[in-house]
Amino acid sequence: MIEIRQLHKHYETAQGRVEVLKGIDLDVQSGTITAVVGPSGAGKSTLSHCISLLEKPSSGQILVEGKDLSVLSGKELCAERRAIGTIFQNSALLRRMTVAENVALPLRNLGVVHHEMENRVAELLNRVGLADWANSYPGELSGGQRQRVGIARALALRPRLLLSDEATSGLDPESTTQVLELLDSLRTDLGLAIILITHEMDVVRHIADRVAQLDGGRIAEYGELRGLVADPGSVTGSKLLPLRPDLVPAGYDFTLTVAYQAANVDPAWISRLGTEHGARVALLGGSVEAHHEGTLGRVEIGLAGIAAERAIAVLAGWGLRATPRSQQLLASVADRAERIEVAV
Amino acid sequence: MRIPTESAAVGTDTPWNELPALMLPAYGQTWAMVGIVMVLVIIFGGIMGLALFNTDRQGLFPHDKSHAALSWFVNMGRSLPFLVLMAAIIPFTKWVTGTTIGIWAAVVPMTIAGIPFFARLVQNALNDLPKENLAVGLVTGGSPLQIIGATQIREALPALASAVTLNTISMVEYSAIAGTIGAGGIGYLAVTYGYQRFDMNVMLATILALILTVQAVQFLGDRIARALARP
Repeated sequence: MIEIRQLHKHYETAQGRVEVLKGIDLDVQSGTITAVVGPSGAGKSTLSHCISLLEKPSSGQILVEGKDLSVLSGKELCAERRAIGTIFQNSALLRRMTVAENVALPLRNLGVVHHEMENRVAELLNRVGLADWANSYPGELSGGQRQRVGIARALALRPRLLLSDEATSGLDPESTTQVLELLDSLRTDLGLAIILITHEMDVVRHIADRVAQLDGGRIAEYGELRGLVADPGSVTGSKLLPLRPDLVPAGYDFTLTVAYQAANVDPAWISRLGTEHGARVALLGGSVEAHHEGTLGRVEIGLAGIAAERAIAVLAGWGLRATPRSQQLLASVADRAERIEVAV
Repeated sequence: MRIPTESAAVGTDTPWNELPALMLPAYGQTWAMVGIVMVLVIIFGGIMGLALFNTDRQGLFPHDKSHAALSWFVNMGRSLPFLVLMAAIIPFTKWVTGTTIGIWAAVVPMTIAGIPFFARLVQNALNDLPKENLAVGLVTGGSPLQIIGATQIREALPALASAVTLNTISMVEYSAIAGTIGAGGIGYLAVTYGYQRFDMNVMLATILALILTVQAVQFLGDRIARALARP
């Protein structure tokens, strides 16, 4: 388990002190993927550099299984770095080293004996599906393959935390999928804690368990992916599954935003609203995604022939959280919510 | 008494068949000078280039003041034309080698001129490496020496080979200039025979030797750099 406690980082510049991180708290459990998202300048890179121990935080702690790594320096820092494996944007492989030599770099730095190193490298290359490429140079590999070599290198010292810093930026969709599948299997098979620093919401939606939204050097929102997506007030949720602006189409009475709350929502819920409750349903927008823990979705529907309160209660019974999109309706529903719940 | 005519004084060109006996030892001296100088330049210039790069912001030990001081020192070494430098440091050369003529006397100013030049070439070669290399070295648990070895020198080898080539050619040129103070080598032949005695054959032969030498060094350097490059 990795705990980041009150992490602050500032720089002294000619214009004075610039505070980049203003007290970051983050817990990453083993076997989970936490995505850190945020706009440019939010502090993602600085946070990434602090977690990978490339920069010393101004204050705060980075605890890996209880040990604070942020205070170490010199040889101790070199030795403890093995707890954290880092995957870089564009893989950052050394161009004059073969694939095997790149993967072996951390082992050689640590003085692992030759035959042990060879076995470990072969095992790692097998793991990332590149056993046949051991003697190739990075320049002969595709972007996705290079990134998988980067992951193998990050795994060489059996880290407890894997930090991926924009690892899928600039990759084509197929390579991105390969890299994400690999990270997914590492989470499950090795029980690694993974921090995914990214600006790609597609990636987050696919793979993350928890999401931290970084804004202005602070964590603006932090929670389970499913919870954020289901929360109509969540900025992160709306970025993850964006919807079109609120418009009630002609012939319909109101619109609802429906988020998938349960993991096993009946995919035929829209037609059931019609057949079982006599409602007319217009699908206005939304997105439904497969996730390793079940389907994620955020859908906007227009409804007629059913009262808003009733529709909300029915959907809640099916594991769907519905929220009226117009403010007026929101207020009226809030008034009567309790009564409806009892009635259903 | 026979008074030498002007044509006799001017026209004593060394016969072509005697040129090898004259040229080969001189050519050997040129390479001895360049060889000794290049060994010293690669060692000390290389260390200085690594220090320049690693004290800079993106380096392993960023330190503005040390970097500025080193940079100033290197610029100073590079601002003097070689002929001026050679003359200016004659007392130092004499103190180090005990003489002001000959190969060793030329090695001192050539080394002093070559080190800052090579240091800049090394710094430029390292600057061209991907910026993430340092981070890779650090997160893979490398010690400073391991990082410099694996992520800097090894990665920059093709560019460093080109730097050695360029520097060697400069040193061949400097050795010819050093010939003017009696350093020996091809330059000395060119000055004493070609310039002072108007010996056209020696002049042509030295020019040809210098052109062929530079072409050969460049050709070899390019081949080595290409062999070191990876796909």
